[in-house]
Amino acid sequence: MLGRYQILSEEEQRIVHDQSVQVLGEVGVKLLSDRALKILGSNGATIDTESQVARIPVEMVEQALETAPKSFTLGGRTPEFDVPLPSPTSGYVLDLGGVFTRDLRTGERRYATLQDNEDAVRVFEQMQHASVVWPHSIAEDTSRASALRATMSTLMNTSMHVQDELEEPADVPFFIETLAAVLGSEDAVRKRKLFSVVYCTLAPLVHEGQMCDAYLDAIEFEVPILIFPMPAAGSTGPGSLFSNVVLGNAEALSSLVLFQMARPGTPLIFGDASGSTEFSSGGFLEGSPEMVLQTGARGEMARFYGLPNTQAGCLTDAKEPGPQAVMEKMLTTLPLVLGGVDMVQGPGALETSGVLCLEQIVVDDEIAGLCERMRAGVDISESKDYSSDIRSVGPGGHFLMQDTTLEACRSDEFFLPQLSDRNTFERWTELGKPDIYGKARERVEEILAAPLNNPLPDETVGNLQEILRRAQVELQ
Amino acid sequence: MTTADYFEKLAQAVIVGEPEQAEELARTALAQGLDALECIDRGLTVGMKRVGELFATGEYFLPDLIIGADAMKAALAVLEPALLDNQQRDVLGRVVLGTVEGDIHDIGKTLVGTMLTANGFEVMDIGFDRPAGEFVAAVEETNATLVGASTLLTTTMQQQKKIIEELTSAGLRDQVKVMVGGAPTAQAWADEIGADGYAVDAIGAVALARRLVGAEPSPGIDD
Repeated sequence: MLGRYQILSEEEQRIVHDQSVQVLGEVGVKLLSDRALKILGSNGATIDTESQVARIPVEMVEQALETAPKSFTLGGRTPEFDVPLPSPTSGYVLDLGGVFTRDLRTGERRYATLQDNEDAVRVFEQMQHASVVWPHSIAEDTSRASALRATMSTLMNTSMHVQDELEEPADVPFFIETLAAVLGSEDAVRKRKLFSVVYCTLAPLVHEGQMCDAYLDAIEFEVPILIFPMPAAGSTGPGSLFSNVVLGNAEALSSLVLFQMARPGTPLIFGDASGSTEFSSGGFLEGSPEMVLQTGARGEMARFYGLPNTQAGCLTDAKEPGPQAVMEKMLTTLPLVLGGVDMVQGPGALETSGVLCLEQIVVDDEIAGLCERMRAGVDISESKDYSSDIRSVGPGGHFLMQDTTLEACRSDEFFLPQLSDRNTFERWTELGKPDIYGKARERVEEILAAPLNNPLPDETVGNLQEILRRAQVELQ
Repeated sequence: MTTADYFEKLAQAVIVGEPEQAEELARTALAQGLDALECIDRGLTVGMKRVGELFATGEYFLPDLIIGADAMKAALAVLEPALLDNQQRDVLGRVVLGTVEGDIHDIGKTLVGTMLTANGFEVMDIGFDRPAGEFVAAVEETNATLVGASTLLTTTMQQQKKIIEELTSAGLRDQVKVMVGGAPTAQAWADEIGADGYAVDAIGAVALARRLVGAEPSPGIDD
């Protein structure tokens, strides 16, 4: 029962590691944060103050790998939504990083609203393979408290773990206060880890200043960080997958070193969202085979280091729901799942993570189910050894009446699709020729028509509104 | 080498993307007494036009365009100072270009600058994380006719609006056309903030700039 897919051999993983360490030692990383430079400098990195570049010796990488936790749990608002890492099966992260939504009623691509965020997280929570949500980017809210507002809206509409970006240090107290209001205390914020942050380095080899400083504050509250480099092979990264994987790995290791030196034991998810380049426009591509080969390889690097990981996948560059989206999402999910990544970040998005599509959330859950079945492989354990049936039925009979078949037909041995049609042509015609997106849409409508699960108490919502009002005044 | 040979070689240096060769050729051509403006018009511009055509037919990719543009820039740096007082390169417009305040993403913006330069515009790239006031000051200083403002973040999109507002306050809004771009932007956003145009990528930005200055459509760019 191997059913596994490996992109880099162990020896190749060692080569990637060695080259990444060489990049950190020889080229270094640029950090637009004096605070970060100071932390790295006082721990043994060579700092060029003028160029803001830190050259990181291998010993610091080794030390960071020792102090980084190998397992921890991303908490949900209730324990049933907890996500222990590493995970035996691949979970999914709702990708709401874009600013556009495909309107459920009109099909129009428009700027997302807070209502879209609410709808998306409610739909995603009902998906079988859902683990973590990213709040939607709401471009219409131009205040500095926009991300806080989206996170609050997410916390009010799902019990799942929430992951988002913080822009600058001033944001941190408001987010922590928000989480404490939801969980009851600041101590619970540290213990439950209901919220984590995404840290995208700026390829090649640059760390932003304000975001970096914000995260240096956030880790004091034990907020986990998803390290998420996204170099595009052929533009912001070198033109080979090999060297782009090295670049992404070096960026990730530099982040790991920084946050472990700042606070040893900080929970980190060693992720990757590398892409490839559209060579006519320079655009970032993420529905490509090259994308998933890289994020899959970086998932293997995470396991090489024994770190939990989230890899970008289940993605597409298609502009509309449909064949291209399904083809690319399947292509960019299966290798990750077969490779055993902890979490796949991508469902729900179209157009290179630019557009949210509610129906796509449901379609992607079906893709996740198919991939999970593939990963389970052919179970040849004793419990699945039905050779006695072969003996009892003998030549020319059938197995439909075997007790084992009766049990098997409703077991995980056989995947049961929610969307794919398996009817006869006649029955399918009678049903009005349903397609997967039509069925997905019905499911979305059904979920949105149902009452909200586990709403926050009115008092908590009132507290959040009060925090938001203050943030809107103080965050300018 | 005949005069025509020099023009042909300058064009070729752009077509195959050889910045050092283009620069060297420009120097030799001047030393041989060739007219700088003719070297530009009959050499470099012809080469860049051919690059555009090859791009349009799918034979060339973005890296070919960029290296070609770079070759053109390298030769222009030698030839422009040698223009006679009464000569002027045929410039379609002067562009002030930058990434807005609070945003350090500048790859896309720089790419737009390269492509505009190679396609007949004079570009003043003011860099990244630049406050609205610096865009305005640059317009005043250069007497620019176009402004290009880039942003990758939703949180910094407002800065594009601010640039337009400050151009208006400074009494410069009628003098310049404002182009916006970057991942979270769209035509609807450009309309909302009163920008004159939006482009999705560097090629689109050249087509847009050409349209905004009323230039003839160019094969390979406007197709």
